[in-house]
Amino acid sequence: MLLHTLNAGPDSTSFLDCLRSAQKGDAIVLLGEGVYCALDNSAARKKLDESPARLLALASDVSAAGLSDKASGIPLIDMDAFVALSEFYPRQLTWY
Amino acid sequence: MQRPIVTVWSLLAVDVSEKDRKRSLVVMRQSPYGSSLSRASVDLALAMGAFEQDYDLLFMGPGVLQLVAAQDSEKIGVKNIGRILSSLPLYDMESVYVDAAALERYGLNEASLVLPVKLLDDPSLRSLLNDSDHLIGC
Repeated sequence: MLLHTLNAGPDSTSFLDCLRSAQKGDAIVLLGEGVYCALDNSAARKKLDESPARLLALASDVSAAGLSDKASGIPLIDMDAFVALSEFYPRQLTWY
Repeated sequence: MQRPIVTVWSLLAVDVSEKDRKRSLVVMRQSPYGSSLSRASVDLALAMGAFEQDYDLLFMGPGVLQLVAAQDSEKIGVKNIGRILSSLPLYDMESVYVDAAALERYGLNEASLVLPVKLLDDPSLRSLLNDSDHLIGC
C-alpha cells in the first residue's frame, strides 16, 4: 500500500513511471504540476483512469490551475485530508 | 546562547535492535548532470552507509543514466557520479536494482553500467516498492 504523490505534468517521465509503479491498494494524489494530468478528455487522464490505484487531487492546486470544472470525477482533498492519508498509508513515494 | 542544531546525521544514527531494523529503498530518478539532485541523492546513500542503515538503490527512468560507464565530468567541474556509484558496494549497500524498461528505452544494457545490478521488470518493480519499509524518492 503506497501513497504516490505526483507533482509532475502529463508530458514527464515521472508521470509515466508513477503510473507504472502504482498498483491496486495504492493511491495517487495529484498536486502541483500533477493536477494537469487530471484534465478531462486528455491522453493523460485516460491513462490515469485505467490505473488500479485510487485517484485524488489536492483541491487548492486544482483551483489554482483553473481546473475546478475540468477535472471531473476525481475527488478533491484539502490539506487536512492529505495529512490524514499520509498517516494512513505505510509508505509514501514522491514523483516530481 | 546558541541552541544546538540537530543534524540529519545524528537523527539517522539512532541505535535500533536487529529485529527493528528497517530496510529503505532509495529511488533514483534523476539524470546525473542535469541538476544537482542526483549528487544529493548519492550523498544520501553514502551517509546511510556511513551510519549503518540498511538500504537498497533503485534506478528508474532517467536515473539509469547515472550508471553509464566511462563518465568523465572533469571538464564540467563536477564530481563523477558514475565513479562515486561504483564505490557504493564498499559502503555496505546491499543491492542495486535497475528499471529494465528504462535501460532498454535508452538502448543500454547491463554491460554498459558501472557496477553489477539486478534488472527488474514492471511487476518485480512494484513488489520491491511494496516490500521496502521506507521509500525515499530522489
